[in-house]
Amino acid sequence: MTSPTEAGRGAGRATGTEADGDVVPAQRPRPRRGVSLRDAGPPIALVVIFGVFAVLSPDFRTVSNVQNVLDAAAVLAVVTCGISFVLMMGSIDLSSPGIMGASAITVALLVANNRNDNDLGVLGVVVAVLLAAGLGCLSGLALVVLKVPSFMTTLGISAVGLGVATLMFAGVQPNVSDTMLQGWAVERFLGLAYLTWIALACVLVGWLVQRYSRLGRYAFAIGGAEEVLALSGVKVAPYKVAVFTMAGAFYGLAGVMVTSQLGAGLVQAGRGYDFSAITAAVVGGTLLIGGRGGILHSTVGVLLVTVLTNGLVQVGVSPYWQGGVQGLIVVAAVAAAVIPQRRRNQVTK
Amino acid sequence: MSTPVITKPAADAVVPVRPTLGQRLTSFMPVIALVVLLAALTIADPGFLTLNSLTAAVRTSAPLVVLAAGATLVVLCGGIDLSIAALCSLATVFFALWLPDLGGLTTVAVIAATAAIGALQGLAHVLLRIPSFIVTLGGMSIFSAIALVISDAGPIRVVDRDVTNWLTLYVGGVVPMSFVVALVVVAVISLVLRLTPLESWIRATGYSESAARLAGTPVDVVKVAAFTVSGACAGLAALMLVSRNFSGSPSMADNLLLPAVAAIVVGGTAITGGHGSLWRSLAGALVVTLLRVGLPIVGVPSAYEQILYGAIIVAAVALTLDRSKVLIIK
Repeated sequence: MTSPTEAGRGAGRATGTEADGDVVPAQRPRPRRGVSLRDAGPPIALVVIFGVFAVLSPDFRTVSNVQNVLDAAAVLAVVTCGISFVLMMGSIDLSSPGIMGASAITVALLVANNRNDNDLGVLGVVVAVLLAAGLGCLSGLALVVLKVPSFMTTLGISAVGLGVATLMFAGVQPNVSDTMLQGWAVERFLGLAYLTWIALACVLVGWLVQRYSRLGRYAFAIGGAEEVLALSGVKVAPYKVAVFTMAGAFYGLAGVMVTSQLGAGLVQAGRGYDFSAITAAVVGGTLLIGGRGGILHSTVGVLLVTVLTNGLVQVGVSPYWQGGVQGLIVVAAVAAAVIPQRRRNQVTK
Repeated sequence: MSTPVITKPAADAVVPVRPTLGQRLTSFMPVIALVVLLAALTIADPGFLTLNSLTAAVRTSAPLVVLAAGATLVVLCGGIDLSIAALCSLATVFFALWLPDLGGLTTVAVIAATAAIGALQGLAHVLLRIPSFIVTLGGMSIFSAIALVISDAGPIRVVDRDVTNWLTLYVGGVVPMSFVVALVVVAVISLVLRLTPLESWIRATGYSESAARLAGTPVDVVKVAAFTVSGACAGLAALMLVSRNFSGSPSMADNLLLPAVAAIVVGGTAITGGHGSLWRSLAGALVVTLLRVGLPIVGVPSAYEQILYGAIIVAAVALTLDRSKVLIIK
């Protein structure tokens, strides 16, 4: 329970932070009992679903399959890291297919490959991620400067990214022969592929940004009450652009990871990841209206979606149903999250 | 999206404001764009302005016009329907699967099925209070999955071509029947809206949902109806695609989503709802089709098509957005 005095002190500290300009770690108000129960829901669901599949399928409850699940979750985890910040602000991001496609082709053309003589190695990865961040920045700018709703700007940027990718693809598939990039998907450390460790590092970075940087906390505040933030003198626009840029960088890295897995740059590298990531974030407890959730929530959501996908295949459901199951989950999860506010929330667009 | 909507208090005396020259120009933007495009293409390739190529162009545009017309109704209500393309693909699979059993009735059955699916989405949106954007995004994913499963992820040939043959005819030997049907759809829906209170209900819902509710407009019914019509239009567009391709496939119409959204916003229908019309989407769809057909004529690689769609969507929404309504853009 948060007592009024505590809340008062919290507010005082927040304004103090802004006046000094230095970063003071904000103390979180203690969650009320209902909130903590809500936060516990997704992990409980994860354990339950895991248990159900473990009982149903002997193939599911093997150590190698658990490794598979974690490795399969890697790319989605990185995409979801990016989209979580956008969702926390109450915006939405559909640009991952385009941005991932563009970065996948870029990195495939910059490291050692069969199309040209480039052999930039890590630098190629950095350039691809920077290009992706640039595309993300564009959608943020379109949102802030042109005042176009984010689902439209990101739909547009996704198309732009796909177009850029198609241009660079130029009809010949770039196959990667760079040993480092190929090794990421194959070589293992402590039983997990390098890609999985990269994803874990991303989650850690995302969590640190969310918890300890001004960007992360403002993203939360923008989702919670943007007008209040703007009225208290915070310039919201740069933070929005920064969040979209960061999301773009995460998608770019995810595109690189897909290229590493496939050993080739494909325009469709990011196909379907936008929706899977939204599903994961929403299932993990991030509200689409913003202001609640976070990286760790979303990561639980990623594991939930991956375990469900893997488990359904193990018990013999056609993999074509994957998208359908995700669609049902997302609608159900959003509906469940809205139920407490049904009376209040009269206008739904 | 649940953007906070702030309604302005009405002025005491309503002063009729005549639209400025700029506003008039903006409202004719799609038609102007259409004429300019036609002129540019004719200059680039004098052979373009012939009966044959124009006929081919309007024939290609027919499914897009129908899809955009249906989705326009949802946008007018302030929502968005992202599922139209996936639903259309699913409908082509339905058609190919049902044709051997139902014969001539397949047309009706497919349109009824897609209308019912559209209504279902509308009900989910209205009853569960989920943003239309999420419902239809989920719908898109679900419909694709169903189409993949029931078609076994491959195209299904349509052997009996008599049922769709009428759509491939030409009226007076010149105008393709599919385009005539598209025009009739736009005209009939527009007329029905004009002659009944529906038009003001839809506009009221789009301009200010809370005010419309307080004024007694059946907002929920209007929204479900809009989604139903949008679904039915997706079914009709599927028929047109089948009549051209002689097969049903789970991803046949998937690449029509972006052009359809582009057609709606290029036509000048505001994504915030209320302002716009089906005729505008018709003009928008023709502009988009001309761009698609015209780019290779001018010598631009078709890879730029995607980039162009992206840029057009963002630019057109930026131009038509009703800024007085939405103070916070999410």
